[in-house]
Amino acid sequence: MLLLLRTKMILIWILYWLSFTPLAFAQEETAKQVVENFQNELIAVMKQGKELGFKGRYEKLNPVISKSHDLIKIARVVVGKESVKLSEEQQQKLVDTFSHLSIAAYAYNFKEYAGESFKFDSEKETKQGGTVIYTSLLVPNDKEVKFEYMLKKKGDNWKIINIIANGVSDLALKRSEYTSILERDGFEALIAKMNEKIDNYSKQ
Amino acid sequence: MQHTLDKNNKINWLVNLACVTLLSLSGCATTSSTLKTSAIDPYEEVNRSIYDFNNSVDEYVAAPVADAYLWATPVVVQQGIGNFFNNLKDINVFFNDFLQAKFDQGLEDTGRFLVNTTVGLGGLFDIATDIGLVKHDEDFDQTMAIWGVPQGPYLVIPLLGPSTGRGVPGTVLDTALNPSSYVGVPVRALELVHLRANAKASLNTIKESALDPYVFTRDAFLQRRNYLINDGKQTAEENWEEDSDTHHPTNSATSSPDKPIKNK
Repeated sequence: MLLLLRTKMILIWILYWLSFTPLAFAQEETAKQVVENFQNELIAVMKQGKELGFKGRYEKLNPVISKSHDLIKIARVVVGKESVKLSEEQQQKLVDTFSHLSIAAYAYNFKEYAGESFKFDSEKETKQGGTVIYTSLLVPNDKEVKFEYMLKKKGDNWKIINIIANGVSDLALKRSEYTSILERDGFEALIAKMNEKIDNYSKQ
Repeated sequence: MQHTLDKNNKINWLVNLACVTLLSLSGCATTSSTLKTSAIDPYEEVNRSIYDFNNSVDEYVAAPVADAYLWATPVVVQQGIGNFFNNLKDINVFFNDFLQAKFDQGLEDTGRFLVNTTVGLGGLFDIATDIGLVKHDEDFDQTMAIWGVPQGPYLVIPLLGPSTGRGVPGTVLDTALNPSSYVGVPVRALELVHLRANAKASLNTIKESALDPYVFTRDAFLQRRNYLINDGKQTAEENWEEDSDTHHPTNSATSSPDKPIKNK
């Protein structure tokens, strides 16, 4: 009886102390939080856009985009069936270049702030376990732009796979472009075009 | 960031200029037939040639004129010109609302036209939006889609830009129902210059971002048209998971997904 009581006391003590450890607070971000954190960081970078310059914006956005987006998966999806024709080395090169290009494009396009803000509209679970977060970009004195973020779970974390802006899917656009270039001009031409864009972005 | 293409911006900006027939240009097309043709774009090689031609015309004629217009015209005047032509297009919008059996929206858009034509001084001011009458986007291509007419192949029309088998007759009907088509060349020319000037940001985005501007334009155009036909209710979401799961898993690409990538 005494042994049972002591065991109980020890258990209560352990639970009490565990409640103060970071483990108790380590909840994974929801899909909505992933999107909102990403959008908040984006707006913060826009606000500092001019002072940061391209390089500064790139460095700030690099960890943010790498954390919130599944860039490896996106890079594989955009080459579609063509990916089976690529060697292991080529696939790695594609993922690296694609990641650089994606972050550079954000750093180039989100360079200044003119009062824009994001508004959460709704969310929806999909049949295959994904989540869609519907948001609007509010632009002063202009029409709002609808942004739909498609997320999937990777391990315990939600990751952005696709963004649809006013009905135009970024993933679908890129897949058409990438597969077309691979079919017409080949892998090296694709990488050369991607690097050319990265260079152009960084010069601005 | 904004990868949208406004149909009006892209299709109509040179509607009434000199006519160059598709046949005369198809002669310039490459005869290489080694490339696959897709169901959506069976005339890709011809389309690409016309696309290049249109780009040259845009670069040497339309863009400089539009830039001069932007430089010489005060923003308030540009807004007035835009409002004026948009108001005339509202006739087409409410007409197509009714053809698509969107009666409430049709009444709202008729109201928009009446308010802007009277209180808005012939359409120069968009009072209707200020009082909460939202502008809609309808046209004959969308109506035909609702009626079940198939989209047909993607087409690039000389001087006019992207369209489809269904979009060509749609544009003819849209033009026929627009009063600005009948008031004389200077007014029509002004509208075209204004449309091109308005499309500057979208066209620059294509130039700066697209790896293959032809494919980018085609897909953005077709996606945007579908979005408008469905009134934004049905998006690519239905297929996106399937799309994102169809990649071939590989054992490579071992970069850590959560860690920032090394800067170049």
